[in-house]
Amino acid sequence: MSSLDPRVNRLDTKKVKDGELHTNSHLITWEVFHQEKRGKQVTHCGIVHASTPEIALVLAKEQFARRGKTTNLWVAKTTDIYTFSSEDEDIFETTPEKTFREPGAYKVRGRIEKFQKENKADV
Amino acid sequence: MNNNAVKELLYKMADDALIIGHRNSEWTGIGPMLEEDLAFSSIAQDKIGHALALYTILHDVLGEPHPDQLGFMRKEKDFHCCQYVEQPIGEYDFSLMRQFLFDNAELLRYEALTRSSFEPLAQLARKAKGEIKYHVMHGDTFMKQLGNGSEESQARLQSALNNSWHLALGIFENSEFEKELIQEGIFTGEEELKRKWLEKITPTLEAANLKLPATEENKIVYGGRKGSHSEFLTPLLNEMTEVVRTDIDAEW
Amino acid sequence: MYGSTNITEEDARRMNVSDEEPEKLLAFEDRIARGEKIEPGDWMPKEYRRQLLRMIEQHAHSEIVGALPEGTWITRAPNFRRKLALIAKVQDEIGHGQLLYSAAETLGKTREQMLEDLLNGKSKYSNVFNYPAKTWADIAVIGFLVDGAAIVNQVINSKGSYGPYCRALERICYEESFHLKQGHDNVVYLATGTKHQRAILQDAINRWYRPLLHFFGPPDKMSAHSEKLMKWKVKLASNDDMRNQFLDQYVPKILELDITFPDPNLRKNNDGIWEFSDPDWEEFKRVINGGGPCNAERLEVRRYAEEAGRWVRQALLNPQEKYQVPLA
Repeated sequence: MSSLDPRVNRLDTKKVKDGELHTNSHLITWEVFHQEKRGKQVTHCGIVHASTPEIALVLAKEQFARRGKTTNLWVAKTTDIYTFSSEDEDIFETTPEKTFREPGAYKVRGRIEKFQKENKADV
Repeated sequence: MNNNAVKELLYKMADDALIIGHRNSEWTGIGPMLEEDLAFSSIAQDKIGHALALYTILHDVLGEPHPDQLGFMRKEKDFHCCQYVEQPIGEYDFSLMRQFLFDNAELLRYEALTRSSFEPLAQLARKAKGEIKYHVMHGDTFMKQLGNGSEESQARLQSALNNSWHLALGIFENSEFEKELIQEGIFTGEEELKRKWLEKITPTLEAANLKLPATEENKIVYGGRKGSHSEFLTPLLNEMTEVVRTDIDAEW
Repeated sequence: MYGSTNITEEDARRMNVSDEEPEKLLAFEDRIARGEKIEPGDWMPKEYRRQLLRMIEQHAHSEIVGALPEGTWITRAPNFRRKLALIAKVQDEIGHGQLLYSAAETLGKTREQMLEDLLNGKSKYSNVFNYPAKTWADIAVIGFLVDGAAIVNQVINSKGSYGPYCRALERICYEESFHLKQGHDNVVYLATGTKHQRAILQDAINRWYRPLLHFFGPPDKMSAHSEKLMKWKVKLASNDDMRNQFLDQYVPKILELDITFPDPNLRKNNDGIWEFSDPDWEEFKRVINGGGPCNAERLEVRRYAEEAGRWVRQALLNPQEKYQVPLA
């Protein structure tokens, strides 16, 4: 093959040209988590294909931290992450109704003022 | 300070970095898996960046020509890179082995230079250390994984190591200024660097199930530091400067 | 970077959802209508999965094949600044491929299967990468205009309905803005440079003009239409709309440099619509079906990369580990 790319002309492409395709080697996937700054949450940012945590980290570094700021990356095997089924998303729906968990549900200023008014009247 | 000694040191480091960066960049887009393609490309970019930083010191502090002139306009005999970095990329085993062997030497070199009496170089060494530490982490991790991977990968790495060994030892070719560099506290010298390098790579190679080849002094490939190069450098430089030579006066 | 996916007549006919459970389908479509995203674990119509997978997979292929024309000049960039920028840019294309293959994987096809389908011709990639990068000026034109076209497409697609694809595109669009800037910078240096530099730039624009018009796919009146894909937010804008947006943004940026396009009929009419000569859609079809100047080389090089790298991937393989579809 004569290419405009001198790199390609140096490759021994004939060596593999007629061979069968054997792309079928599944590496497992690792979920990658990124921390931008000290004090910030570590958040999921993507996956890498790798065999061991060491390789996963070395490879994740250039895919997920080659720009911008990073203080750390975490990796975990995809198979080691557990999630709810998306069909169970409705279990989260009740939360906003539970006003006793919200600061806005506790308003006592009116009560205090009423008390102070009545107290004065008594004196 | 002996300016000639410093210049000699900066030129050989810069030339090494430019040429190995150039070679490693040949893998960008055709690496063995996407993630590794990215990692290897970053390593190549870092190296070319280090070359630029070193040429910039030569230009700004020591009055040498502009970095683009130094990188793209010098003749082969003016390059002081070792012959190891000039070699074609070969198959991935050769390139990976070179990345491992060269970057382990580079890390130790830059560590020593963080204490250099030549402050601009010490500053650069402190700045680049993290990048080179990653390069070594990459090389070491892949050596251990692939050396202990399949029969094929172990055999490939062993043969790459055998083919590289006397080329790699050429990294430590003495310059004519070794004494001055050491006396003036500019650099600890190639002999000491080589000793530390052997100490550092030996356990990694053992852990990678690889055997250190026997060293035959007369087979070590020297010459690069004195401007004597393999047959691969001239074509590399011709290719690298193909565009810029089409119009020397142009700003690109 | 990327070009538009084309729906063929056959595809449009196959977009049949009559065997889906009506209740689930309704809930799915309601969710999309509300502007919510679909996530990998959700129920989705088979056709949604199929079309989306095909689109993301083609997009991913386009990234890694797109690295090849630009890679042509990677060892010859004329100074430090351009050398570093070009390596970083080609690297980004591979990175984008990685992100997109990962998004496609969540739909249930492995990266290896996708690569296999690329190599055996079952799966396509953008036509624009089947043209050669003949001179350094091609790198400038690709970096500015092909990436510019890709950004038009990708910004629109990032508003789509599938969560993993949107997330990948958000990151890709951010990185593409660097590509565009460095491409524009390169074009401007050539256009404001010497006679030789202007000549190679003009030549490159002349050669890339048609492939750029082809980039967004055949005109709407020629391509099969799918209301379904629009409703499902798999496709978000018509080919003609995207092409018009591209011409509107980029033609003036070339003309202001006193560089011309090889088309006397290229002009904006009073309705704000760009008109141009027929860019030969037969050629577009020929190239898609393998008849372009570089189709064979692109696949041969990708095949080499896969084959030559196989020993690395296999040495990393741990047979005890079982692959599972990634989560997000």
